[in-house]
Amino acid sequence: MKQVIVHPERCVGCMQCMLACAAAHSKTGALISAISESPRPKPRIHVGAGLYDEGFPNRCRHCNPAPCQMACLPGAIYRQTTTNTVLINPDVCINCASCAMACPYGVIRYHADPLGPAGKTIAVKCDNCIARQHKGLIPACVEVCKVGALTFEEMDAAMKKKTDQVARSMSAEAIAADHAPGFSLLNTIKRAQKEINLSR
Amino acid sequence: MTHHHNYTITKDGQLLIKKMESDQVETVWDRHAAQQPQCGFCDLGLSCRICAMGPCRVDPFGEGPQQGVCGADADIIVARNLCRMIAAGAAAHSDHGRDLVEVLAEVAENKAPGYAITDTEKLNRVAAEYGIAADGKTPEQVAGELAHAMQEDFGTRKKELALVTRAPEKRQQLWRKLNIMPRGIDRETSEAMHRTHMGVDNGWQSLLLHGLRNALSDGWGGSMIATEVSDILFGTPKPAPTKVNAGVLKADQVNVVVHGHNPVVSEMVMAACQDPEMTKLAEEKGAKGINLCGLCCTGNELLMRHGIPMAGNHLMTELIIATGAIEMMIVDYQCIMPALSKVAACYHTKMISTSDKARFPGMEHVEFHPDNARKKAYDVVKAAIENFANRGETYIPVEPLDAVGGFSVEAVVGALGGTPEPLLDAIKAGKIRGAAGIVGCNNPKIKHDYGHVTLTKRLIENDILVVDTGCAAVATAKAGFKVADAISHAGPGLKEVCGSLGIPPVLHFGSCVDNVRILVLAAALANALGTDISDLPLAGAAPEWYSEKAVSIGAYVVASGIYTVLGPMPPIAGSMNVVELLTKGLGEVVGATFAVEPDPEKAAVLIRGHIENQRRKLGLDATEV
Repeated sequence: MKQVIVHPERCVGCMQCMLACAAAHSKTGALISAISESPRPKPRIHVGAGLYDEGFPNRCRHCNPAPCQMACLPGAIYRQTTTNTVLINPDVCINCASCAMACPYGVIRYHADPLGPAGKTIAVKCDNCIARQHKGLIPACVEVCKVGALTFEEMDAAMKKKTDQVARSMSAEAIAADHAPGFSLLNTIKRAQKEINLSR
Repeated sequence: MTHHHNYTITKDGQLLIKKMESDQVETVWDRHAAQQPQCGFCDLGLSCRICAMGPCRVDPFGEGPQQGVCGADADIIVARNLCRMIAAGAAAHSDHGRDLVEVLAEVAENKAPGYAITDTEKLNRVAAEYGIAADGKTPEQVAGELAHAMQEDFGTRKKELALVTRAPEKRQQLWRKLNIMPRGIDRETSEAMHRTHMGVDNGWQSLLLHGLRNALSDGWGGSMIATEVSDILFGTPKPAPTKVNAGVLKADQVNVVVHGHNPVVSEMVMAACQDPEMTKLAEEKGAKGINLCGLCCTGNELLMRHGIPMAGNHLMTELIIATGAIEMMIVDYQCIMPALSKVAACYHTKMISTSDKARFPGMEHVEFHPDNARKKAYDVVKAAIENFANRGETYIPVEPLDAVGGFSVEAVVGALGGTPEPLLDAIKAGKIRGAAGIVGCNNPKIKHDYGHVTLTKRLIENDILVVDTGCAAVATAKAGFKVADAISHAGPGLKEVCGSLGIPPVLHFGSCVDNVRILVLAAALANALGTDISDLPLAGAAPEWYSEKAVSIGAYVVASGIYTVLGPMPPIAGSMNVVELLTKGLGEVVGATFAVEPDPEKAAVLIRGHIENQRRKLGLDATEV
């Protein structure tokens, strides 16, 4: 089973995933028309800024066991085992925010949603784009990510890839390959700027 | 895996895409696919890279930032970006015009061997508009004075450009009232860059108004000078037969292709290609002769004035190299994909860049200036002939089609018997419902040529006369609409009128700078009726536009009073205020608006509806659409 994997070291902070996510969870499904819908669709992935203002795409981890599911009083939160996805039933949700208090990642939002009951504020979070997956599409945030900060792959294969990457860096004579010197330079400068500001 | 039928409606295009696929050469469509999905912030016009406090973007869904670091909101950011697009487009046309004025000045000083004044009558006519009397002077003296006067149009010394007096009096008054009368060609572009700098003009309405002024400085300035001076130097176009599509390449001849926009280089290349000495040289090398063909607008310039065959438009430029039949492609500037030399590297085609303003990776640079252009042209054509020996397999997929080009305003009015009256009479009688200018580029977002050809087909069926330029003009010629027999595609009224004049229902007006010919004709029609351009049953369309120049063109056409339908959406949807202003509000301001409609079938309905509305307002018979 494929899952969304986040590679935070590659995120350039463009927020494309946020736009794609909001558009994917809109009534019309297209960005140009989604921006004028009511209620306005909102992203379920949130790009935050790290210590050095580097981007970080923050999305639901679909934890197992899921603290939000355990905290949900009316039992609106459940797990779809086939896709390993934690979902919220919008009809059962009572908008009490218990799930948000339990969530260590802060990825649950409360608003009326284009795909929820009309006019009802409900808890909304990433649903792994299961509607898109049913159509054979990959999650919208991954599709739109141009830098590989979000990938959709089998967990085992991803682990293997990472293991090999680490192994190669441990080889004798290994020179750390910098795949994007420009991006590294930008991050170095951002970091230096931050540090100068903090030290004065 | 490419799906060539989804990319283009053209037979030659489909076959050449297939060939590039089997040759494993990347095309513009492959690169377009690799760019998907494209950035939504930029697509909406909500990203700003203008200063180093940024880059900034505004979240259209309201979760993220709603203002840039400077405090610019969505309206300001979208308006600033759009203004900068107009400025870049106007700058391109301004530079193009300036290069021709430079040649005119050097011809006057006898410093440009090979160049000459071809249309003295037009020289004197344009000079008179600049207040220069021709009597008792040699053409060179007149040319010198005219070049000097035109150079002043580029600067800061004037309150109004000289050629705005061609616009109807009412239109000029309106521009003065709105304070969008263009003062200097470069001044308006420069001011646009100033206004869009952080902390200058933060009124989205005033920004957009200046954008219109900047565009007008292109339409009634830079582009108009480019067209008029090209006519003076190289001849005013007259209708002449030509051939179009990839089939214009010849398997047994040295094929030289010019690509770009400026006739300054391509005219000299043509002269060299037509020299019997060069033909002899080609024959010595085993070729049957030298075959010069055009691409894009520099091709349109040669087609209009000399009937030089046209190999294709913007999205054909890579494909045409894949024929393996081109010895040399000579480029000047604008719309030349830097990818071309990569394609050429897979075949034997030599790529030559010629402009001091435009270099390309992997091209040999042979810089042309007015004083050395003739010699350089001979040098490169000789090298093209040498290259014939290196030719491998060729694949010329189709037979060329006939077309007629060369409809300058002078030629059209001439065909009508010296006045625009017969055209007006045909419009009044309802035989011709109105006229539409279909202009602009190709864009891989729209199936190649589908927008141009479908819209043209629907409009002529509905008795709307179509004039076109640029890539659109090449598309409709390839579709077979530019021969006298094409009246079989037209409605009964248009068929009758064009049939009696012996002209096609779709008139080739030239290159993209030649859009000013449409302005001049529209102004002449309005003046003949004693009214304004915005009262006429006219429309404009850019069904497949891609370039910043097209944004400038669209803006000056609308600011001149012509309703214009765009195919691709410009990056403005991030501000509903801007969208609202351009599609509705401008009607109150300049008497014309933009519309966006990617589907040419629907665009045709919009245009037909607009033209009938205009007829109704003029008191002519009108149909409900």
